[in-house]
Amino acid sequence: MSHSHSDTIPLHASSQSDIDEIENLINASVLSGPATVLPARPPSPPRAQIPVSSSPFIPSNIPPPPLASHQKPTPVPAAPPPPPVSSSSQGNRTVSSSGFGSAPNTLTEPVWDTVKRDLSRIVSNLKLVVFPNPYREDPGKALRDWDLWGPFFFIVFLGLTLSWSASVKKSEVFAVAFAVLAAGAVILTLNVLLLGGKIIFFQSLSLLGYCLFPLDVGALICLLKDSVILKVIVVCVTLAWSSWAAYPFMSSAVNPRRKALALYPVCLMYVSVGFLIIAID
Amino acid sequence: MQILPPNNGGGKGQGYPSLASSSETFEQQPTGNWRGVFSITSYTQYFNIDTDVVLNRLMGSLSPIDGSFFSKIVVNPDIYGPIWISTTLVFMLASLGNWATYLMEKHAGKGSSWTFDVNYVNVAAIAIYGYAIAVPLGFYFLLQYLGSNANLVQFWCMWGYSLFIFILSAFPLLIPVEILRWIIIVAAGAASACFVGSNLRSYVDGADATIVVIAAFFLQMALAVFIKVWFFS
Repeated sequence: MSHSHSDTIPLHASSQSDIDEIENLINASVLSGPATVLPARPPSPPRAQIPVSSSPFIPSNIPPPPLASHQKPTPVPAAPPPPPVSSSSQGNRTVSSSGFGSAPNTLTEPVWDTVKRDLSRIVSNLKLVVFPNPYREDPGKALRDWDLWGPFFFIVFLGLTLSWSASVKKSEVFAVAFAVLAAGAVILTLNVLLLGGKIIFFQSLSLLGYCLFPLDVGALICLLKDSVILKVIVVCVTLAWSSWAAYPFMSSAVNPRRKALALYPVCLMYVSVGFLIIAID
Repeated sequence: MQILPPNNGGGKGQGYPSLASSSETFEQQPTGNWRGVFSITSYTQYFNIDTDVVLNRLMGSLSPIDGSFFSKIVVNPDIYGPIWISTTLVFMLASLGNWATYLMEKHAGKGSSWTFDVNYVNVAAIAIYGYAIAVPLGFYFLLQYLGSNANLVQFWCMWGYSLFIFILSAFPLLIPVEILRWIIIVAAGAASACFVGSNLRSYVDGADATIVVIAAFFLQMALAVFIKVWFFS
Protein backbone atom coordinates (compact mmCIF):
# COMPACT_ATOMS: atom_id res chain seq x y z
CA MET A 1 0.00 0.00 0.00
CA SER A 2 1.73 3.15 -1.21
CA HIS A 3 1.07 6.41 0.52
CA SER A 4 2.08 9.55 -1.29
CA HIS A 5 3.27 12.41 0.83
CA SER A 6 1.34 14.95 -1.21
CA ASP A 7 -1.85 14.26 0.75
CA THR A 8 -0.32 14.21 4.19
CA ILE A 9 -1.99 16.60 6.59
CA PRO A 10 0.60 19.31 7.04
CA LEU A 11 1.23 18.84 10.74
CA HIS A 12 4.45 16.92 10.35
CA ALA A 13 7.03 18.23 7.98
CA SER A 14 9.32 15.25 8.11
CA SER A 15 8.52 12.12 6.16
CA GLN A 16 7.25 9.23 8.21
CA SER A 17 5.90 5.81 7.68
CA ASP A 18 2.14 5.25 7.61
CA ILE A 19 1.95 3.75 11.05
CA ASP A 20 3.89 6.52 12.71
CA GLU A 21 1.68 9.16 11.14
CA ILE A 22 -1.52 7.55 12.26
CA GLU A 23 -0.12 7.04 15.74
CA ASN A 24 0.72 10.70 15.93
CA LEU A 25 -2.74 11.69 14.82
CA ILE A 26 -4.32 9.43 17.41
CA ASN A 27 -2.14 10.92 20.09
CA ALA A 28 -2.97 14.40 18.92
CA SER A 29 -6.70 13.74 19.02
CA VAL A 30 -6.47 12.13 22.46
CA LEU A 31 -4.55 15.11 23.75
CA SER A 32 -6.98 17.58 22.29
CA GLY A 33 -9.74 16.24 24.47
CA PRO A 34 -12.89 14.13 24.24
CA ALA A 35 -15.08 16.52 22.36
CA THR A 36 -14.07 15.54 18.89
CA VAL A 37 -16.95 13.39 17.81
CA LEU A 38 -19.19 16.25 16.72
CA PRO A 39 -16.88 19.10 15.88
CA ALA A 40 -18.22 22.62 15.95
CA ARG A 41 -17.88 24.25 12.61
CA PRO A 42 -19.84 26.52 10.33
CA PRO A 43 -23.12 25.09 9.08
CA SER A 44 -22.71 22.61 6.30
CA PRO A 45 -23.42 23.74 2.76
CA PRO A 46 -27.16 23.92 2.28
CA ARG A 47 -28.78 20.70 1.40
CA ALA A 48 -31.84 21.03 -0.82
CA GLN A 49 -34.78 21.52 1.49
CA ILE A 50 -38.18 23.18 1.66
CA PRO A 51 -39.64 23.89 5.11
CA VAL A 52 -42.96 22.19 5.62
CA SER A 53 -44.41 24.28 8.43
CA SER A 54 -45.62 27.81 7.94
CA SER A 55 -43.38 29.09 10.73
CA PRO A 56 -40.27 30.92 9.55
CA PHE A 57 -37.22 28.81 8.95
CA ILE A 58 -35.35 28.25 12.20
CA PRO A 59 -31.65 27.59 11.73
CA SER A 60 -30.83 24.49 13.63
CA ASN A 61 -28.68 25.03 16.70
CA ILE A 62 -27.50 21.48 17.01
CA PRO A 63 -24.27 20.52 15.34
CA PRO A 64 -25.02 20.09 11.69
CA PRO A 65 -25.03 16.68 10.10
CA PRO A 66 -21.48 15.54 9.69
CA LEU A 67 -19.30 15.20 6.70
CA ALA A 68 -19.43 15.75 3.03
CA SER A 69 -19.46 12.03 2.42
CA HIS A 70 -23.02 11.86 3.68
CA GLN A 71 -24.21 14.69 1.49
CA LYS A 72 -23.59 12.87 -1.72
CA PRO A 73 -27.01 11.70 -2.88
CA THR A 74 -27.04 8.03 -2.09
CA PRO A 75 -28.96 5.93 -4.59
CA VAL A 76 -32.23 4.58 -3.23
CA PRO A 77 -32.10 1.37 -1.62
CA ALA A 78 -29.18 -0.05 -3.50
CA ALA A 79 -26.88 1.92 -1.21
CA PRO A 80 -23.72 0.07 -0.19
CA PRO A 81 -22.96 -0.79 3.46
CA PRO A 82 -21.51 1.98 5.64
CA PRO A 83 -18.34 3.22 3.99
CA PRO A 84 -15.09 2.05 5.53
CA VAL A 85 -12.98 4.59 7.37
CA SER A 86 -10.66 5.17 4.40
CA SER A 87 -13.33 6.48 2.06
CA SER A 88 -14.87 8.69 4.71
CA SER A 89 -11.39 9.95 5.40
CA GLN A 90 -11.06 11.05 1.80
CA GLY A 91 -14.22 13.05 2.23
CA ASN A 92 -12.71 14.54 5.36
CA ARG A 93 -9.55 15.47 3.59
CA THR A 94 -11.32 17.37 0.85
CA VAL A 95 -13.51 18.99 3.50
CA SER A 96 -10.53 19.88 5.62
CA SER A 97 -8.70 21.40 2.73
CA SER A 98 -11.61 23.74 2.12
CA GLY A 99 -11.47 25.16 5.60
CA PHE A 100 -13.32 22.95 8.11
CA GLY A 101 -10.38 22.70 10.38
CA SER A 102 -11.51 20.11 12.92
CA ALA A 103 -12.69 17.47 10.40
CA PRO A 104 -9.49 15.36 10.56
CA ASN A 105 -10.50 14.21 14.04
CA THR A 106 -13.19 12.05 12.52
CA LEU A 107 -10.53 10.41 10.42
CA THR A 108 -9.23 8.64 13.45
CA GLU A 109 -12.43 8.05 15.28
CA PRO A 110 -13.44 4.45 15.79
CA VAL A 111 -15.81 2.99 13.22
CA TRP A 112 -18.30 2.46 16.03
CA ASP A 113 -18.57 6.23 16.47
CA THR A 114 -19.36 6.75 12.83
CA VAL A 115 -21.97 4.03 12.90
CA LYS A 116 -23.40 5.36 16.14
CA ARG A 117 -23.80 8.80 14.61
CA ASP A 118 -25.72 7.38 11.67
CA LEU A 119 -27.89 5.29 13.95
CA SER A 120 -28.71 8.24 16.16
CA ARG A 121 -29.74 10.22 13.11
CA ILE A 122 -31.96 7.39 11.96
CA VAL A 123 -33.58 7.19 15.40
CA SER A 124 -34.15 10.92 15.61
CA ASN A 125 -35.66 11.05 12.13
CA LEU A 126 -37.84 8.13 13.02
CA LYS A 127 -39.13 9.84 16.13
CA LEU A 128 -39.87 12.99 14.19
CA VAL A 129 -41.62 11.36 11.29
CA VAL A 130 -43.50 8.48 12.82
CA PHE A 131 -44.31 9.87 16.24
CA PRO A 132 -45.00 13.49 15.37
CA ASN A 133 -45.35 15.62 18.44
CA PRO A 134 -47.26 18.83 17.76
CA TYR A 135 -45.39 20.66 20.51
CA ARG A 136 -41.91 19.93 19.32
CA GLU A 137 -39.67 22.90 18.91
CA ASP A 138 -38.46 22.40 15.38
CA PRO A 139 -41.02 20.89 13.01
CA GLY A 140 -38.88 21.06 9.91
CA LYS A 141 -35.93 19.18 11.32
CA ALA A 142 -36.83 15.82 9.86
CA LEU A 143 -36.91 17.33 6.43
CA ARG A 144 -33.56 19.09 6.77
CA ASP A 145 -31.74 16.04 8.07
CA TRP A 146 -33.12 13.52 5.66
CA ASP A 147 -31.06 10.45 5.00
CA LEU A 148 -31.56 7.29 3.01
CA TRP A 149 -30.11 4.70 5.39
CA GLY A 150 -33.28 4.49 7.44
CA PRO A 151 -35.55 3.88 4.45
CA PHE A 152 -33.11 1.33 3.10
CA PHE A 153 -33.12 -0.65 6.36
CA PHE A 154 -36.88 -0.56 6.64
CA ILE A 155 -37.53 -1.66 3.09
CA VAL A 156 -35.05 -4.51 3.27
CA PHE A 157 -36.36 -5.54 6.68
CA LEU A 158 -39.92 -5.64 5.40
CA GLY A 159 -38.87 -7.69 2.38
CA LEU A 160 -36.98 -10.13 4.55
CA THR A 161 -39.83 -10.48 7.03
CA LEU A 162 -42.33 -11.17 4.27
CA SER A 163 -39.97 -13.59 2.61
CA TRP A 164 -39.42 -15.43 5.88
CA SER A 165 -43.13 -15.79 6.54
CA ALA A 166 -43.83 -17.13 3.08
CA SER A 167 -43.89 -20.87 2.79
CA VAL A 168 -43.39 -21.07 -0.96
CA LYS A 169 -41.72 -18.86 -3.56
CA LYS A 170 -39.74 -16.98 -0.95
CA SER A 171 -37.42 -15.17 -3.31
CA GLU A 172 -40.30 -14.03 -5.49
CA VAL A 173 -42.07 -12.59 -2.48
CA PHE A 174 -38.97 -10.65 -1.49
CA ALA A 175 -38.53 -9.39 -5.03
CA VAL A 176 -42.13 -8.24 -5.32
CA ALA A 177 -42.12 -6.54 -1.93
CA PHE A 178 -38.82 -4.78 -2.56
CA ALA A 179 -39.78 -3.69 -6.08
CA VAL A 180 -43.19 -2.42 -5.01
CA LEU A 181 -41.76 -0.40 -2.14
CA ALA A 182 -38.75 1.02 -3.92
CA ALA A 183 -40.46 1.78 -7.21
CA GLY A 184 -43.50 2.95 -5.28
CA ALA A 185 -41.54 5.55 -3.35
CA VAL A 186 -40.04 6.93 -6.55
CA ILE A 187 -43.36 6.95 -8.37
CA LEU A 188 -45.17 8.63 -5.49
CA THR A 189 -42.62 11.40 -5.45
CA LEU A 190 -42.92 11.83 -9.20
CA ASN A 191 -46.68 11.94 -8.81
CA VAL A 192 -46.44 14.85 -6.40
CA LEU A 193 -44.02 16.67 -8.65
CA LEU A 194 -46.20 16.14 -11.71
CA LEU A 195 -49.26 17.45 -9.89
CA GLY A 196 -47.39 20.69 -9.51
CA GLY A 197 -46.34 20.12 -5.93
CA LYS A 198 -43.22 21.43 -4.29
CA ILE A 199 -41.15 18.70 -2.77
CA ILE A 200 -37.53 17.65 -3.02
CA PHE A 201 -37.07 14.21 -4.51
CA PHE A 202 -34.78 12.68 -1.87
CA GLN A 203 -36.60 14.29 1.02
CA SER A 204 -39.77 12.62 -0.14
CA LEU A 205 -38.07 9.25 -0.61
CA SER A 206 -36.67 9.54 2.88
CA LEU A 207 -40.05 10.40 4.41
CA LEU A 208 -41.93 7.65 2.63
CA GLY A 209 -39.29 5.19 3.76
CA TYR A 210 -39.55 6.25 7.39
CA CYS A 211 -43.34 6.00 7.28
CA LEU A 212 -42.89 2.29 6.58
CA PHE A 213 -41.74 1.69 10.12
CA PRO A 214 -45.21 0.87 11.53
CA LEU A 215 -45.72 -1.68 8.77
CA ASP A 216 -42.38 -3.25 9.67
CA VAL A 217 -43.55 -3.66 13.24
CA GLY A 218 -46.82 -5.11 12.00
CA ALA A 219 -45.06 -7.58 9.72
CA LEU A 220 -42.84 -8.71 12.58
CA ILE A 221 -45.85 -9.30 14.81
CA CYS A 222 -47.59 -11.23 12.04
CA LEU A 223 -44.46 -13.35 11.57
CA LEU A 224 -44.33 -14.30 15.23
CA LYS A 225 -48.02 -14.96 15.80
CA ASP A 226 -49.93 -16.75 13.11
CA SER A 227 -53.65 -16.06 13.45
CA VAL A 228 -55.72 -14.47 10.70
CA ILE A 229 -57.86 -12.25 12.93
CA LEU A 230 -54.81 -10.88 14.73
CA LYS A 231 -53.11 -10.23 11.42
CA VAL A 232 -56.06 -8.28 10.06
CA ILE A 233 -56.29 -6.14 13.17
CA VAL A 234 -52.56 -5.49 13.40
CA VAL A 235 -52.29 -4.65 9.71
CA CYS A 236 -55.24 -2.28 9.83
CA VAL A 237 -53.83 -0.44 12.83
CA THR A 238 -50.31 -0.13 11.42
CA LEU A 239 -51.64 0.85 8.01
CA ALA A 240 -53.66 3.67 9.53
CA TRP A 241 -50.60 4.74 11.49
CA SER A 242 -48.38 4.82 8.40
CA SER A 243 -50.88 6.79 6.38
CA TRP A 244 -51.38 9.21 9.26
CA ALA A 245 -47.62 9.72 9.50
CA ALA A 246 -47.30 10.40 5.78
CA TYR A 247 -50.34 12.67 5.57
CA PRO A 248 -48.87 16.01 6.72
CA PHE A 249 -45.88 15.83 4.41
CA MET A 250 -47.78 14.84 1.31
CA SER A 251 -50.73 17.12 1.79
CA SER A 252 -48.70 20.22 2.44
CA ALA A 253 -46.68 19.73 -0.71
CA VAL A 254 -49.49 20.21 -3.22
CA ASN A 255 -52.27 22.64 -3.98
CA PRO A 256 -55.17 21.98 -1.54
CA ARG A 257 -57.55 21.20 -4.40
CA ARG A 258 -55.35 18.29 -5.36
CA LYS A 259 -54.64 16.92 -1.90
CA ALA A 260 -56.69 13.79 -2.43
CA LEU A 261 -54.95 13.13 -5.74
CA ALA A 262 -51.58 13.19 -4.00
CA LEU A 263 -52.69 11.12 -1.00
CA TYR A 264 -54.60 8.37 -2.76
CA PRO A 265 -51.48 6.69 -4.25
CA VAL A 266 -49.79 6.72 -0.84
CA CYS A 267 -52.75 4.94 0.70
CA LEU A 268 -52.83 2.54 -2.24
CA MET A 269 -49.21 1.58 -1.74
CA TYR A 270 -49.59 1.02 1.99
CA VAL A 271 -52.80 -0.97 1.50
CA SER A 272 -51.09 -3.21 -1.05
CA VAL A 273 -48.18 -3.83 1.32
CA GLY A 274 -50.65 -4.49 4.13
CA PHE A 275 -52.44 -6.98 1.96
CA LEU A 276 -49.17 -8.74 1.22
CA ILE A 277 -48.53 -9.00 4.94
CA ILE A 278 -51.93 -10.53 5.62
CA ALA A 279 -51.88 -12.89 2.69
CA ILE A 280 -48.42 -14.34 3.14
CA ASP A 281 -48.53 -17.32 5.44
CA MET B 1 -53.78 18.11 -33.64
CA GLN B 2 -50.62 16.30 -32.69
CA ILE B 3 -49.45 16.56 -29.15
CA LEU B 4 -46.67 14.30 -28.36
CA PRO B 5 -43.94 15.25 -28.92
CA PRO B 6 -44.41 18.45 -30.86
CA ASN B 7 -41.80 19.49 -33.36
CA ASN B 8 -42.11 23.18 -32.94
CA GLY B 9 -40.58 23.37 -29.51
CA GLY B 10 -41.64 25.61 -26.65
CA GLY B 11 -44.16 28.21 -27.63
CA LYS B 12 -45.12 29.97 -24.45
CA GLY B 13 -42.18 28.89 -22.39
CA GLN B 14 -43.78 29.20 -18.99
CA GLY B 15 -43.26 26.55 -16.35
CA TYR B 16 -46.54 25.52 -14.80
CA PRO B 17 -49.61 26.25 -16.92
CA SER B 18 -52.54 27.51 -14.91
CA LEU B 19 -56.10 26.43 -15.54
CA ALA B 20 -57.04 29.83 -16.93
CA SER B 21 -54.38 29.78 -19.58
CA SER B 22 -55.15 26.25 -20.55
CA SER B 23 -58.78 26.98 -21.28
CA GLU B 24 -58.30 30.08 -23.34
CA THR B 25 -55.47 28.86 -25.55
CA PHE B 26 -56.39 25.26 -25.89
CA GLU B 27 -55.11 24.95 -29.42
CA GLN B 28 -51.68 26.07 -28.38
CA GLN B 29 -51.55 24.66 -24.91
CA PRO B 30 -50.39 21.13 -25.65
CA THR B 31 -47.28 22.24 -27.49
CA GLY B 32 -46.34 25.08 -25.21
CA ASN B 33 -44.41 23.39 -22.49
CA TRP B 34 -42.41 20.64 -24.03
CA ARG B 35 -38.93 20.84 -22.57
CA GLY B 36 -37.66 17.47 -23.65
CA VAL B 37 -38.28 13.90 -22.65
CA PHE B 38 -36.37 14.02 -19.38
CA SER B 39 -37.76 17.20 -17.88
CA ILE B 40 -40.67 16.91 -15.48
CA THR B 41 -42.16 20.23 -16.49
CA SER B 42 -42.94 18.87 -19.93
CA TYR B 43 -45.33 16.38 -18.41
CA THR B 44 -47.07 18.56 -15.84
CA GLN B 45 -49.46 19.73 -18.52
CA TYR B 46 -51.00 16.26 -18.50
CA PHE B 47 -51.47 16.28 -14.74
CA ASN B 48 -53.08 19.67 -14.53
CA ILE B 49 -56.20 18.42 -12.86
CA ASP B 50 -58.12 18.78 -9.61
CA THR B 51 -59.85 16.23 -7.43
CA ASP B 52 -63.37 17.18 -8.44
CA VAL B 53 -62.57 17.00 -12.16
CA VAL B 54 -61.13 13.51 -11.71
CA LEU B 55 -64.24 12.40 -9.83
CA ASN B 56 -66.42 13.88 -12.54
CA ARG B 57 -64.57 11.92 -15.21
CA LEU B 58 -64.77 8.72 -13.19
CA MET B 59 -68.53 9.08 -12.91
CA GLY B 60 -68.69 9.83 -16.62
CA SER B 61 -66.90 6.61 -17.43
CA LEU B 62 -69.69 4.60 -15.89
CA SER B 63 -72.32 5.64 -18.42
CA PRO B 64 -72.02 3.26 -21.38
CA ILE B 65 -74.27 4.90 -23.95
CA ASP B 66 -73.58 8.56 -23.52
CA GLY B 67 -70.67 9.06 -25.88
CA SER B 68 -69.81 12.47 -24.49
CA PHE B 69 -66.60 11.57 -22.73
CA PHE B 70 -64.37 13.15 -25.31
CA SER B 71 -66.10 16.48 -24.94
CA LYS B 72 -65.19 16.35 -21.25
CA ILE B 73 -61.54 15.74 -21.85
CA VAL B 74 -60.80 17.56 -25.09
CA VAL B 75 -59.61 20.70 -23.33
CA ASN B 76 -57.53 19.06 -20.65
CA PRO B 77 -56.79 15.38 -21.17
CA ASP B 78 -55.05 13.97 -18.16
CA ILE B 79 -52.75 11.02 -17.71
CA TYR B 80 -53.19 10.91 -13.93
CA GLY B 81 -56.46 9.00 -14.27
CA PRO B 82 -55.22 6.25 -16.59
CA ILE B 83 -52.04 5.68 -14.60
CA TRP B 84 -53.67 5.31 -11.22
CA ILE B 85 -56.73 3.47 -12.47
CA SER B 86 -54.46 0.91 -14.14
CA THR B 87 -52.32 0.60 -11.03
CA THR B 88 -55.36 0.19 -8.80
CA LEU B 89 -56.74 -2.43 -11.16
CA VAL B 90 -53.46 -4.37 -11.08
CA PHE B 91 -53.52 -4.36 -7.30
CA MET B 92 -57.19 -5.33 -7.18
CA LEU B 93 -56.75 -8.20 -9.60
CA ALA B 94 -53.73 -9.56 -7.77
CA SER B 95 -55.20 -9.30 -4.28
CA LEU B 96 -58.86 -10.08 -4.93
CA GLY B 97 -57.89 -12.78 -7.41
CA ASN B 98 -55.92 -14.53 -4.71
CA TRP B 99 -58.73 -14.06 -2.25
CA ALA B 100 -61.28 -15.37 -4.75
CA THR B 101 -59.20 -18.49 -5.37
CA TYR B 102 -59.02 -19.03 -1.63
CA LEU B 103 -62.79 -18.64 -1.25
CA MET B 104 -63.40 -20.97 -4.16
CA GLU B 105 -61.27 -23.68 -2.61
CA LYS B 106 -62.87 -23.23 0.78
CA HIS B 107 -66.29 -23.41 -0.84
CA ALA B 108 -65.29 -26.59 -2.58
CA GLY B 109 -64.10 -28.00 0.72
CA LYS B 110 -60.35 -28.23 0.42
CA GLY B 111 -59.11 -24.90 1.73
CA SER B 112 -55.83 -26.04 3.19
CA SER B 113 -53.88 -26.29 -0.03
CA TRP B 114 -54.08 -22.64 -1.00
CA THR B 115 -50.99 -20.47 -0.84
CA PHE B 116 -50.57 -16.89 -1.91
CA ASP B 117 -49.49 -16.78 -5.51
CA VAL B 118 -47.26 -13.81 -6.12
CA ASN B 119 -47.29 -14.49 -9.82
CA TYR B 120 -50.73 -12.89 -10.02
CA VAL B 121 -49.07 -9.50 -9.54
CA ASN B 122 -46.76 -10.03 -12.48
CA VAL B 123 -49.47 -11.27 -14.83
CA ALA B 124 -51.84 -8.50 -13.78
CA ALA B 125 -49.22 -5.83 -14.31
CA ILE B 126 -48.23 -7.06 -17.75
CA ALA B 127 -51.80 -7.54 -18.89
CA ILE B 128 -53.28 -4.28 -17.67
CA TYR B 129 -50.39 -1.98 -18.40
CA GLY B 130 -49.84 -3.63 -21.76
CA TYR B 131 -53.49 -3.24 -22.68
CA ALA B 132 -53.73 0.35 -21.47
CA ILE B 133 -50.64 1.42 -23.39
CA ALA B 134 -50.74 -0.66 -26.54
CA VAL B 135 -54.41 -0.62 -27.53
CA PRO B 136 -54.85 3.16 -27.71
CA LEU B 137 -51.52 3.37 -29.51
CA GLY B 138 -52.70 0.84 -32.04
CA PHE B 139 -55.97 2.64 -32.61
CA TYR B 140 -54.17 5.94 -32.92
CA PHE B 141 -51.99 4.63 -35.73
CA LEU B 142 -54.94 2.90 -37.35
CA LEU B 143 -56.98 6.07 -37.38
CA GLN B 144 -54.06 8.10 -38.62
CA TYR B 145 -53.74 5.62 -41.46
CA LEU B 146 -57.44 5.88 -42.21
CA GLY B 147 -57.06 9.61 -42.44
CA SER B 148 -58.93 10.96 -39.48
CA ASN B 149 -57.43 13.26 -36.95
CA ALA B 150 -56.68 11.36 -33.79
CA ASN B 151 -55.14 12.60 -30.57
CA LEU B 152 -53.03 10.06 -28.75
CA VAL B 153 -53.25 11.58 -25.28
CA GLN B 154 -57.03 11.68 -25.46
CA PHE B 155 -57.10 8.04 -26.50
CA TRP B 156 -54.91 7.04 -23.58
CA CYS B 157 -57.15 9.05 -21.29
CA MET B 158 -60.35 7.48 -22.55
CA TRP B 159 -59.13 3.88 -22.49
CA GLY B 160 -57.65 4.43 -19.05
CA TYR B 161 -60.93 5.66 -17.62
CA SER B 162 -62.77 2.79 -19.29
CA LEU B 163 -60.95 0.39 -16.95
CA PHE B 164 -62.66 1.91 -13.92
CA ILE B 165 -65.69 -0.35 -14.31
CA PHE B 166 -63.46 -3.41 -13.84
CA ILE B 167 -62.25 -2.05 -10.51
CA LEU B 168 -65.84 -1.80 -9.29
CA SER B 169 -66.74 -5.22 -10.62
CA ALA B 170 -63.76 -6.88 -8.95
CA PHE B 171 -65.58 -6.85 -5.61
CA PRO B 172 -68.73 -8.72 -6.67
CA LEU B 173 -66.51 -11.21 -8.47
CA LEU B 174 -65.41 -12.54 -5.10
CA ILE B 175 -68.65 -14.41 -4.69
CA PRO B 176 -67.62 -18.03 -5.24
CA VAL B 177 -70.50 -19.01 -7.50
CA GLU B 178 -69.27 -19.70 -11.00
CA ILE B 179 -72.36 -18.70 -12.97
CA LEU B 180 -72.71 -15.48 -11.01
CA ARG B 181 -69.11 -14.58 -11.78
CA TRP B 182 -69.70 -15.05 -15.48
CA ILE B 183 -72.78 -12.87 -15.41
CA ILE B 184 -70.96 -10.10 -13.56
CA ILE B 185 -67.96 -10.10 -15.84
CA VAL B 186 -70.03 -10.15 -19.01
CA ALA B 187 -72.10 -7.23 -17.73
CA ALA B 188 -69.04 -5.22 -16.73
CA GLY B 189 -67.25 -6.05 -19.96
CA ALA B 190 -70.26 -5.06 -22.02
CA ALA B 191 -70.64 -1.76 -20.18
CA SER B 192 -66.99 -0.92 -20.60
CA ALA B 193 -66.94 -1.98 -24.24
CA CYS B 194 -70.04 0.09 -25.01
CA PHE B 195 -68.39 3.05 -23.34
CA VAL B 196 -65.33 2.68 -25.54
CA GLY B 197 -67.37 2.00 -28.66
CA SER B 198 -69.78 4.88 -28.33
CA ASN B 199 -67.03 7.34 -27.57
CA LEU B 200 -64.97 6.14 -30.46
CA ARG B 201 -67.94 6.46 -32.77
CA SER B 202 -68.59 10.00 -31.72
CA TYR B 203 -64.96 10.75 -32.46
CA VAL B 204 -64.57 9.22 -35.88
CA ASP B 205 -67.36 9.51 -38.40
CA GLY B 206 -66.80 7.74 -41.63
CA ALA B 207 -67.24 4.58 -43.57
CA ASP B 208 -64.58 2.62 -41.75
CA ALA B 209 -65.81 3.78 -38.40
CA THR B 210 -67.97 0.71 -37.84
CA ILE B 211 -65.12 -1.75 -38.17
CA VAL B 212 -62.97 0.28 -35.82
CA VAL B 213 -65.73 0.52 -33.25
CA ILE B 214 -66.48 -3.19 -33.40
CA ALA B 215 -62.79 -4.01 -33.04
CA ALA B 216 -62.54 -1.83 -29.95
CA PHE B 217 -65.65 -3.46 -28.51
CA PHE B 218 -64.27 -6.94 -28.97
CA LEU B 219 -60.89 -6.07 -27.52
CA GLN B 220 -62.52 -4.75 -24.37
CA MET B 221 -64.67 -7.87 -24.07
CA ALA B 222 -61.58 -10.01 -24.57
CA LEU B 223 -59.90 -8.22 -21.69
CA ALA B 224 -62.93 -8.84 -19.48
CA VAL B 225 -62.98 -12.55 -20.31
CA PHE B 226 -59.24 -12.81 -19.70
CA ILE B 227 -59.65 -11.22 -16.30
CA LYS B 228 -62.34 -13.69 -15.37
CA VAL B 229 -60.52 -16.74 -16.66
CA TRP B 230 -57.12 -15.99 -15.23
CA PHE B 231 -57.87 -14.36 -11.91
CA PHE B 232 -61.30 -15.47 -10.83
CA SER B 233 -61.72 -19.04 -11.97
